[in-house]
Amino acid sequence: MQRIDLEKYTPLLAGYTELRAQENHVVSIGFLKGSNVRNVQSTTSGICARVYQRGSWGFASSPDFTDESVRQVIKAASANAAFLDGKQNKGKPDLPAKPLRAEHDFSTNKPRLTQKQLIEFTKQVDQYIAEKYPDLASRYVNLNCLDMEKQLLTSDGSHAYSFNPRALISITMTMDKDGNPVELFDVFGSRGQFEDVFNDPADLYKDIDLLYEQLRHKVEGVYAEPGVKDCILDADLGGILAHEAIGHTTEADLVLGGSVAARFMDKQVASPLISLVDFAHHALGELCPMPIFVDDEGTEAEDAVIIDQGILKTYLHSKESALHYGVKPTGNARAWSFSDEPLIRMRNTAILPGKDSLEDMIASIDDGYYLIRPNNGQADTTSEFMFGVVLGYEIKNGKLGRAIFDTTISGVAFDVLQTVTMVSNDMKWSVAGMCGKKQPMPVGMGGPAIKCKVNIGGR
Amino acid sequence: MMEREIISYTLEQLKAKGMDASCSLNQSTKYEMNVETGKITLIRTVFNNGLSLYAIKDNKSGSYSVNKLDRETIDQAIATVVEIAESSEPDPAHAIAEYQPSEVFCAGPRKPDEDLMYTRLEGFLEQVKSRYPKIIVENAYLDFTHQIRFIANTNGTDFTTEKGIYRFTSMFSAHDGDLSSSFNYTGFAAQELDRELLDYGSLDTLLAQSCEQITTQTLSGKFVGDVIITPDCLSDFLSYVFGITIYDGALISGTSVFKDKLGQQVADPRLVIHSRPVSPEVADGYFVTGDGYKAENCTIIDHGVLKTFLLTLYGANKTGLQRAVNNGGCYVIEPGEKSLDEIISQVDRGIIVARYSGGYPSQNGDFSGVAKNSYYIENGKIQYPISETMVSGNLISMLKNIVDISKERVDFGAGIYPWITFSGVTISGK
Repeated sequence: MQRIDLEKYTPLLAGYTELRAQENHVVSIGFLKGSNVRNVQSTTSGICARVYQRGSWGFASSPDFTDESVRQVIKAASANAAFLDGKQNKGKPDLPAKPLRAEHDFSTNKPRLTQKQLIEFTKQVDQYIAEKYPDLASRYVNLNCLDMEKQLLTSDGSHAYSFNPRALISITMTMDKDGNPVELFDVFGSRGQFEDVFNDPADLYKDIDLLYEQLRHKVEGVYAEPGVKDCILDADLGGILAHEAIGHTTEADLVLGGSVAARFMDKQVASPLISLVDFAHHALGELCPMPIFVDDEGTEAEDAVIIDQGILKTYLHSKESALHYGVKPTGNARAWSFSDEPLIRMRNTAILPGKDSLEDMIASIDDGYYLIRPNNGQADTTSEFMFGVVLGYEIKNGKLGRAIFDTTISGVAFDVLQTVTMVSNDMKWSVAGMCGKKQPMPVGMGGPAIKCKVNIGGR
Repeated sequence: MMEREIISYTLEQLKAKGMDASCSLNQSTKYEMNVETGKITLIRTVFNNGLSLYAIKDNKSGSYSVNKLDRETIDQAIATVVEIAESSEPDPAHAIAEYQPSEVFCAGPRKPDEDLMYTRLEGFLEQVKSRYPKIIVENAYLDFTHQIRFIANTNGTDFTTEKGIYRFTSMFSAHDGDLSSSFNYTGFAAQELDRELLDYGSLDTLLAQSCEQITTQTLSGKFVGDVIITPDCLSDFLSYVFGITIYDGALISGTSVFKDKLGQQVADPRLVIHSRPVSPEVADGYFVTGDGYKAENCTIIDHGVLKTFLLTLYGANKTGLQRAVNNGGCYVIEPGEKSLDEIISQVDRGIIVARYSGGYPSQNGDFSGVAKNSYYIENGKIQYPISETMVSGNLISMLKNIVDISKERVDFGAGIYPWITFSGVTISGK
């Protein structure tokens, strides 16, 4: 995206205004059973203004970066805010301000690969699977790269630039069992542009071999026995639990909307073994999968310790919700596209590691399940959640048993977290998270494995 | 350049490079009012453009889309799509739509009635407050989107579509002291806002139900029983079933369990499902398919018989099967003969599932998930709202295990659905 001198528009900003230029660039390449079925790029960019007037907001956006379109969006956003203020007359005070200047660029310094080279890389991964595992009924290899680039100016003095990329390769394998397809997928990649994330297709072969082995187990699997069971939720499931079932209930807009967390502040909501943080950019000394240093309201992003040793300590805030609660904004206001307004969103949400080894955790269960990979998740404002599980194993007498077919787990998160008795001493991030809340949003989720009681679906 | 000039210029440039190509240009304006926690908080005006190019040469294809329409961006887009296409692996299944006579399609108003939108939205909030004081409207979005699209290709196809549509969605829950219901949500699309928002779709019904769901009971143990899927929930189930059976991915990969079932009985003979994107009964339809054909209505399941797959031109070429006349969606399910009350009265033991929160179904149709905002039925009567209840079964089997279809249906503007009872579903509590 062209760098724009947003500061020259400062004289046009009356009252509290955000002016943001943004470009999202996507590359997507797919091979289905060897056919190059997807070969796509898209670039979506533009400029937007959001204006605050005594508690009412106006927003407008345009795909053009011209002086005229900047004037037009500021004017339209101001008119929308004025129209609403005239009707609603909320009379709210000014938003909190703490201006800063920041620039965080995670673009690669390496020469960019061409589309042809990206296709060749994806094709090599597909060919490895085709040649090594001819017994698969189907396979799908998909490369997906997303670059989000933002420039922000706020009327209260913040000025920020960010370039946040991520590159992912997802692999789905399907095997036939008695005429029925059995499927398993995994996603590889991380923060960064493709050149910084992937080097050689062969680097993925070990993971592909493991995926195939897990699929073989699943083909010979069994249906889970339904009911409340002792389960170990591995890092990916612990991460989705932290995000979906706890994180969302503590987003301040949802708290105001009636989330169950509204009555739990400073109360014991989980086992003392549980601490849960929405990290801004670094966690345990490492850069997070989706590092946010400044949010889209120009607030410096800080870690939000949601649960500290089982006690609910904070909600996630924008400037407006922080004003309402009389606290500091946490830097959680983020927008997906130039045509979207910032909403309260998580950044990198994780349970903190404990002291147990995974081996000891498995050994401690007589009859339960070790659940490893989710495919989707949803949670209620009551914190009742459900996650689809595509990879898991029985635990019988302290040992892993047969794999299980696709299933779903559910529970009330604040109840389930009270049942946690062991937390593993390692930490793993899932980088492929895409949260949905009016707008999509890339997020990081992660944590250790946890031992708890959950309701598992089955037959 | 004006829109038609951009289309002509782009196609000429691509043709000169030896490409078969299609080009779609759209210009849209969205006007949207947002509610948070029961109050109107934000008004948005979103102007946007889109230029989507698809090019093929020597059986190699690529797509590029961008949302700017200046000359420099267009020239870059042309160069980019050529590079992307030339980079791809050849596949003789890539093709563009053949020549069709030019046509212009229009639906809905060109501009929103902004004052009416505000009045309707405020009226909705006031009505909810007075009729359902325990409800918190967590959020609601009322928007009007106008879009004009020009779709053309190097075979001479040239369509123009213009559409204006109002859309509304809302998420809400009911609260009483420390007790609260699960959230629920619904929405609708309409070409006019000629009545109160509560009178569209299933809004009023679901708000009333949320108030009943503040106090729930859990079921214990598991049993195999009947489930009545509500119209809101049925649209999700239908998307799941068709997604794993009749679209490109499932048929090209060969994983569809319906791959050899065209013309065969796959469902109960009472089930008739149409896809009607160009019917006056569907407000939020479409005129042109994603691959550049004039869309037509079709019947997907006719008295239980699978009549068509939903293959694109590429999918059809890839599988040797017939291209569908539309992209699916806009589903209209034929009503049954019994009232919903009669249907409920005939359930010995089961549940009404009003919202399904579950994992994506397996490719063989197996599913399991949580029955949200749902009710327990015993001896033909609704007993109480339930929570923490899971349902599991197989979508493919369910199609054949239909007990009843209601004569009442809900019109969401983008589809019309009845209530359907299915037998043989596993229901498990705590």
